Amino acid sequence: MSGEEIRIGVYVCHCGTNIAGTVDVEEVVRYASTLPNVVIARNYVFMCSEPGQQLIKEDIKKYNLNRVVVAACSPSLHELTFRNAVKEAGLNPYLFEMANIREHCSWAHPDRRKATEKAKDLIRMVVAKARELEPLEEIKIDVTKKALVIGGGVAGLRAALDLARSGFTVYLVEKRPTLGGHTARIPFIRYLGVRGDELISSIVKELVSMPNIKIYTNADVVSMEGGVGSFRVRIRVRPKYVDSKCNLCGECVKVCPVEVSNEYEYGVGTRKAIYLPYQTAYPQIYVIDPEVCTRCGECVKVCPTKAIDLDEKERYEDIEVGTVILATGYDPYEPEKGELGYGLSKKVITLFQLERLLDERGPTKGVLRIGDTEPRVIVFISCVGSMGTSPKAGSYCSRMCCSTMLSAALKIRDQLPGSYIYVIHKDIRTYGYDEELYWKALERDIRFVRYEELPEVKVSGDKIEVVVKDITIGEYISVPADLVVLVNGMAQGKYLREVLNVVRVSCGDEGFVKEAHVKLRPVDAASEGIYLAGSVTGPKSVIESIIHGSAAAARAATVLSKDHVFAEPIIAKVDEDLCSGCLVCVGMCPYNAISTKETDGRRIAFVNPVLCMGCGTCAAACPSGAMQQQGFKDKQVFAQIRAFAR
Amino acid sequence: MSSVRGKVLVIGGGIAGIQASLDLAEAGFKVYLVEKKPSIGGRMAQLDKTFPTLDCASCILTPKMAEVPRKANIELITYAEVIDIVKEKDGFRVVVKKYPKYIDETKCIGCGICVERCPAREKLGAPDEFNEGLSTRRAVCILFPQAVPRKAVIDPNICLYLTRKTCKVCEKFCPAQAIDWSDTEKILNLYVDAIVVATGYRFVDPRHPALSIYGYGKYQNVYTNIEFERILDSRGPTGGEILRRSDKKHPKRIVFIQCVGSRDYRINPYCSAYCCMASIKQAVLAKEHEPGVDIVILYMDIRAFGKGFQEFYERAVKEFGIRFVRGRPAKIVEDPNTKNLIVYYENTLKGTIEKIEADMVVLALGIVPNPPDFMKRLGLVEPDGRVKIKDPSDPIATPVEGLFIAGMLAGPKDIPDSVAQGSAVAMRVMQHILRRKVEVVAT
Amino acid sequence: MTEEYEPKILMIACNWCSYAAVDLAGTSRMRSPHNIRIIRVMCSGRVDPQMVLEAFVNGADGVIVAGCRLGDCHYIEGNYKTLRRMALLKKLLEQLGVEPERFRLEWISAADAKKYVEVANDMVEKLKKLGPLRISFEEISKLIEEVKHIE
Repeated sequence: MSGEEIRIGVYVCHCGTNIAGTVDVEEVVRYASTLPNVVIARNYVFMCSEPGQQLIKEDIKKYNLNRVVVAACSPSLHELTFRNAVKEAGLNPYLFEMANIREHCSWAHPDRRKATEKAKDLIRMVVAKARELEPLEEIKIDVTKKALVIGGGVAGLRAALDLARSGFTVYLVEKRPTLGGHTARIPFIRYLGVRGDELISSIVKELVSMPNIKIYTNADVVSMEGGVGSFRVRIRVRPKYVDSKCNLCGECVKVCPVEVSNEYEYGVGTRKAIYLPYQTAYPQIYVIDPEVCTRCGECVKVCPTKAIDLDEKERYEDIEVGTVILATGYDPYEPEKGELGYGLSKKVITLFQLERLLDERGPTKGVLRIGDTEPRVIVFISCVGSMGTSPKAGSYCSRMCCSTMLSAALKIRDQLPGSYIYVIHKDIRTYGYDEELYWKALERDIRFVRYEELPEVKVSGDKIEVVVKDITIGEYISVPADLVVLVNGMAQGKYLREVLNVVRVSCGDEGFVKEAHVKLRPVDAASEGIYLAGSVTGPKSVIESIIHGSAAAARAATVLSKDHVFAEPIIAKVDEDLCSGCLVCVGMCPYNAISTKETDGRRIAFVNPVLCMGCGTCAAACPSGAMQQQGFKDKQVFAQIRAFAR
Repeated sequence: MSSVRGKVLVIGGGIAGIQASLDLAEAGFKVYLVEKKPSIGGRMAQLDKTFPTLDCASCILTPKMAEVPRKANIELITYAEVIDIVKEKDGFRVVVKKYPKYIDETKCIGCGICVERCPAREKLGAPDEFNEGLSTRRAVCILFPQAVPRKAVIDPNICLYLTRKTCKVCEKFCPAQAIDWSDTEKILNLYVDAIVVATGYRFVDPRHPALSIYGYGKYQNVYTNIEFERILDSRGPTGGEILRRSDKKHPKRIVFIQCVGSRDYRINPYCSAYCCMASIKQAVLAKEHEPGVDIVILYMDIRAFGKGFQEFYERAVKEFGIRFVRGRPAKIVEDPNTKNLIVYYENTLKGTIEKIEADMVVLALGIVPNPPDFMKRLGLVEPDGRVKIKDPSDPIATPVEGLFIAGMLAGPKDIPDSVAQGSAVAMRVMQHILRRKVEVVAT
Repeated sequence: MTEEYEPKILMIACNWCSYAAVDLAGTSRMRSPHNIRIIRVMCSGRVDPQMVLEAFVNGADGVIVAGCRLGDCHYIEGNYKTLRRMALLKKLLEQLGVEPERFRLEWISAADAKKYVEVANDMVEKLKKLGPLRISFEEISKLIEEVKHIE
């Protein structure tokens, strides 16, 4: 490569008027053509389009270009597009670099003169780096045709089913002792006559009949290494202390002295330390909650099949998969004690608790009673935990609650035709076909009160009064309620932070995982090979989560269907002649990608190209400059810095 | 995977159809992507920016579009419609009608010289569909500069040669000798294992009698939101300047009216889901174009339900000063001299009847699914326009085995949900085809 | 017409977090000072103290090294290494007589466009008061030759 004349083509994009409206693209092109080694400089309205890419391809051939610079939007959008275009023209795709003159320039600085000068500087610096670029070969990675799905809620189950049906081996890891997530506790999906637990059961039934699926419940993922095509994951299966000999007789429950709030009923009701999460739980085995169990041993004594072993230990299993789907869902917002009367009266409940009370298979067999009385006046208060209605609330809209709230209101109307049902709301967001619910609710005499100021729930002894300013009449109204339902939204999963220590994807400020691109890649994580399904990325309805589960499975299938994928070669590499074997780099690497090897009787460092993720930390530490990060070598980055001043 | 695992027909080259095609092709399936227009891209190609990120729509769409012809497994058939499907054995026999382009696609290089030279323009031209009729196009045209495929087509209704046997200027100037006057309608017969219909939506007709109070078509300065989008777009009929029809002046006040043709039992009882956010987006962009303009949005509910939506809505209020008034207009009257619109409405949160004078009114139009005729013949369309699905919990599978839907055709939604459905439907198709073959790929 | 002194600032930003935050600031049309020129690296851990010195030698009045928030590094712990190295660099700069305001180490998450704008504005304001960097370039150049990395 040395000795070859460097011939650079520079392309300045207008991006419609996004860049050209602020930056003087003609002046920038003129400037670029004065830079050393720049053979051709052009501007065009949309460089990323077919004709824009054609311009580059033709110039490469016509002008014998061996370096290409495009000054346009952020590389996060189009670096790949242009690398492919360059590759198609026969030039190594890593002899290409982008200058960001849109997000970092025209969109940020309205002053035409300043933006134009900055664009010139940015291009000069990138051209300086481009001069030093070297061709790199993509790394071929064998794809292990297996998938890991983390999360056994509806989205994870759907994704697992889809991948298993497609013929791939699937490992499904669920934290809780049962599959089904929150969906299994929803008695009615909208007003459609579909039960959540039946939706779950139909998927689970098919899943467990398939030979190519392995399900781990009461399990977590504790470590994950590698990348797309080959992730090495360690699963920890926590002990249930009860094995498959359990015949569900329930004798253990009778003698267990510990009683705690039942999270599977959202606190409506209790369970023992030994319990079956719910009737249709899968697997159908009782489990002991180690956090509250006193190890008294009473259950062991009464178990007819000797299924209980209080000394069961956790076990680990190591697997290798080609792709990972993260589907760890959400948890409902838990109101603070005192928030709108929550925790101060048993007449104030959350939407999730209400659904348990309306479930025929629930603690009250679906009969809505508070204590022993049938409520006559029921008040729903929407947007609890969302829309910034309290200090702890998210500022986002929780999407599914309006529809769920109206479905629940209609169910109550079915059961209690003479009751007064009030819905106190901000907006009613029954979007799309869900508008049907709003029409039905109006037809069936559900009364709507619009608020801007958060209502007050006054609790005095047994009495509840809801006071709210109805902004359509401009006056305060007071409703003596028998039941107040706080319509709580979806919030970050309780254990998400733990999971994110293992699966390195990032979260937005509101607590949900970020997609690679919120519009066009809604189920891809930023890292290759990791996909996101369901409400882990944001509030969603059950039906939307199922779609996302299938979508994530489809995306995973695009990798698993191949025998190899290719990884970006911007990884660290050791110049064996320069390496002195100090091995400072070895300890630097978070992926344990650096080991040693013998050469010419010397021990030197060696980077495993499949494990290296390309951070460059080792390269910065290397005292001799033997360790270099391809595409970000010292000479390349320093050239960019040296071009800082004209 | 060198062998093809199955053949799939995807009808509709909008974002959902494109995503489904790309995922299926990557997974080793052969895809026939049939698009009615001369280019894929669908509605998203007509957008200037997308909500809530204010991403440039073309910037994020064109690379996806550009991937389509690069996939060896995708056969892109544009300017064609699927006119019939018949269930046959385990799959479908499909009849595709290809409209004559009068241009040889294998030769056309998309240079656009024919378009520049074509004399059938302005009065001899036709309303430009891409710009919603706000400008005219010529007889030969390329749908938009980033079209995929970037090939010209000739409109036989206004082409001077095809109607009067004169002209032929395009043929004279075409550097690739791509003009083909002998082109005719062709019928293509395909046999496929599964079909995805992703033909998107159409807008409710703003001239519907129930919507006559808004004065669309009667008052020059009343626009539909898609027309307004084209005006905002720098590639549009006014170069991105907001100039109103009557006197080409910049507006000082714009009033948006939400739910025009949605949530309305007379026309369409459903919520169109996209329009609250689209109007907020357009309002914010309008403020960027015209910093002094006053913008009022008349609404029923602001459905800012998606990721980042509520935050964007709040920014619109706090940072951009967009005014939101909850009320439906009862009457719109045009001032005969200024051509301004006076909008009468009830401000429901104050309990007063108010009127406001606007230079421009933008109607946020409702949308309904746009199924191809053959689906109506197969009885797959409900009286209210919804496409029939097999199971209420799975919005993308029709009662016909192997026939699936995705995107806006399956109900109002935004771009990310259309993309997700595109991928999800690809998975449904994969399973439908592979289950019949029952193979376990690896242990 | 007085020509106001405009400091020149180099920012070395990590791809996953801080670079994305600057992108987000642009996408959200947040106005930020034009004085900043950004270089992208994959991780702030790639940043060698020599790079910062090189920037000062080549016309930078200020340098910002930006990475992910501690605990959020895309490469798990690269930014911790950056923290250690830059702490050492800060001492070195002090000895050279480079005012501490001229070098900043910032942790900016990809969603935190606002923080980027605040940091940028703050730095420009401080550097405007300090004026251009006045240091012996020969001294720095010599030091660049001698600086070894101690981990």
